[in-house]
Amino acid sequence: MGIDCGGGALSLTPLLRKVFLVDLVKGLSVTFHNQSEKERITEQYPLKRPMVFERYRGQPRLNSNPDTGKSLCIVCNLCALACPEQLIVVKGERNPVTKRKEVVSWTYDLSRCMFCGLCAEACSTDALELTQDYEMALYSREAMVLDQAALERGQEPVRYAK
Amino acid sequence: MLGAIKGYLSSNVTPGEAGSQLWATVYIIVIVLGVSLAVIAMNWLERKILAHMQIRLGPMRVGPHGLLQPFADALKLLIKEDIIPANADKIVFWSAPVVVTMTAFTTFLVVPFGRTHAVTDMNIGVLFMLGISSLGVLGIIMAGWSSNSNYPLMGSLRSSAQMVSYEIAMGLAIVCAVLMTSLQTGTGTLSMIGIVEAQNAQGTWFIFKFFPLGFLAFVVFAIAMIAETNRAPFDLPEAESELVAGFHTEYSGFRWSLFFLAEYSAMLGVSSIAVTLWLGGWLRPFANTLSGPTWDLAFSLIPGLSFLVMGAGTFLGTIRMPKIVQMRAQAIGLGVFAALLGLVGLFLLLPGVRERVQDIFWFVAKVACFMYLYIWYRGTFPRYRFDQLMKVGWKVLLPIGLGVLIATALVGMRQELWASIVGVAR
Repeated sequence: MGIDCGGGALSLTPLLRKVFLVDLVKGLSVTFHNQSEKERITEQYPLKRPMVFERYRGQPRLNSNPDTGKSLCIVCNLCALACPEQLIVVKGERNPVTKRKEVVSWTYDLSRCMFCGLCAEACSTDALELTQDYEMALYSREAMVLDQAALERGQEPVRYAK
Repeated sequence: MLGAIKGYLSSNVTPGEAGSQLWATVYIIVIVLGVSLAVIAMNWLERKILAHMQIRLGPMRVGPHGLLQPFADALKLLIKEDIIPANADKIVFWSAPVVVTMTAFTTFLVVPFGRTHAVTDMNIGVLFMLGISSLGVLGIIMAGWSSNSNYPLMGSLRSSAQMVSYEIAMGLAIVCAVLMTSLQTGTGTLSMIGIVEAQNAQGTWFIFKFFPLGFLAFVVFAIAMIAETNRAPFDLPEAESELVAGFHTEYSGFRWSLFFLAEYSAMLGVSSIAVTLWLGGWLRPFANTLSGPTWDLAFSLIPGLSFLVMGAGTFLGTIRMPKIVQMRAQAIGLGVFAALLGLVGLFLLLPGVRERVQDIFWFVAKVACFMYLYIWYRGTFPRYRFDQLMKVGWKVLLPIGLGVLIATALVGMRQELWASIVGVAR
């Protein structure tokens, strides 16, 4: 086994590639095909809203029963226990008439949330859900602690006014 | 008055030949305006096409599809603070952009947009263009030196070294084309109009002449002209992604925009040399294979039709715009632009206009192809290193240019050579 020094016919191909600018033409064809509209990945964000994936975990929401309008939350505290950041605080009280627990205060600290989705998975009644909304920026740190009302109506992005 | 205008427009001479200073002035104004408009269009097109090649969108916000972006940029440059460094040589600093811009625009004096559409037909046209455009190097050195700063000086020296060394390869390639003009008549010509007419008389564009000799000369010129105008992949003096701006580092505002204008009109200038010398100038394609009055008519309709197609494409873009309130003004603007393109197309279809304008159209279309190539190269090729640049210029292009020149001369003289060899043998 001798070492191939690339003599004779073997070195002819790279030479021809160089002379006929094969690689340059290849590069040119790549950039030419990139001009097609299908290839474009930039989105005109505020004008055209991007489609997020079905399993995207964004803005949390507390669901309520569409017929009665009552919250689906049964104050079982499973979400608060599941949360690794312990940012969910649920306080409830037993209703003496129905013998069911009802929400007194429900807070969700969005500023500490990492959207792992463990809370939604732990929820036994599908009351807590991480929706596909992604516009969660707010103007103050205090406002990021969402209460029950904010979680139920789904947060609207705050429009900046001059 | 109207009669005089009509009489001139139907005549078949350039203002220079007619000896009419009035028409020469009109032509010069039209050309300066046209070149400036082309630079504006080129600015927008470059940003859009380059963006699309990099899978981006490019300017989208100022006007529909960013059509008004160059105007916004021009306004910004005009109202920007105009800074002259404290230690700069003020007179030279002031005059450098003027020199560069003047030389870039003066080259268009001899560019033949058509048989009658040149300011004048100089019998040394090509030499004039080369001479004037190489005066631009002087402006660049002036800019670099007068800034009294290290970066511009280095940038201008690199810039001028590059331009000077590529001018040689460029000149050799041009001599090939000039040699070819002498093939049938025995005397060659340096006149830009004469070169195109020689191609017409010989029935072939010089790029196809003595294949592959004409093509090789063209390739040498096409590479040298990119280096000559300091464009990617030979844009080392500016190298916007690596260096400060090169020779115009200290320039800002309107002076900077003059350099910009000069760079782009120089690109247009060298492209028009290439088109004139190798691609048959204003001659329409397929003049030999598709000849006859029917084909002549068909080809004379292409300018108008191409504008109509552009208008239709723009109209399609208007329809496809997102139907939301924020985009309504832009959609209307784009619709108006489409209508404007369509109107221009219809105007170009009028019989009188069509006859007069089609040679300009073919010339501009060929130059536009070169402009696209410039953008395409910039979007594709990585920058050369300075030693590689010099190597390509001196060790590749110069020998090829010389070889092609000698080969062209030999092939052109083959009958005389053969006769003399036979004569000696006898």
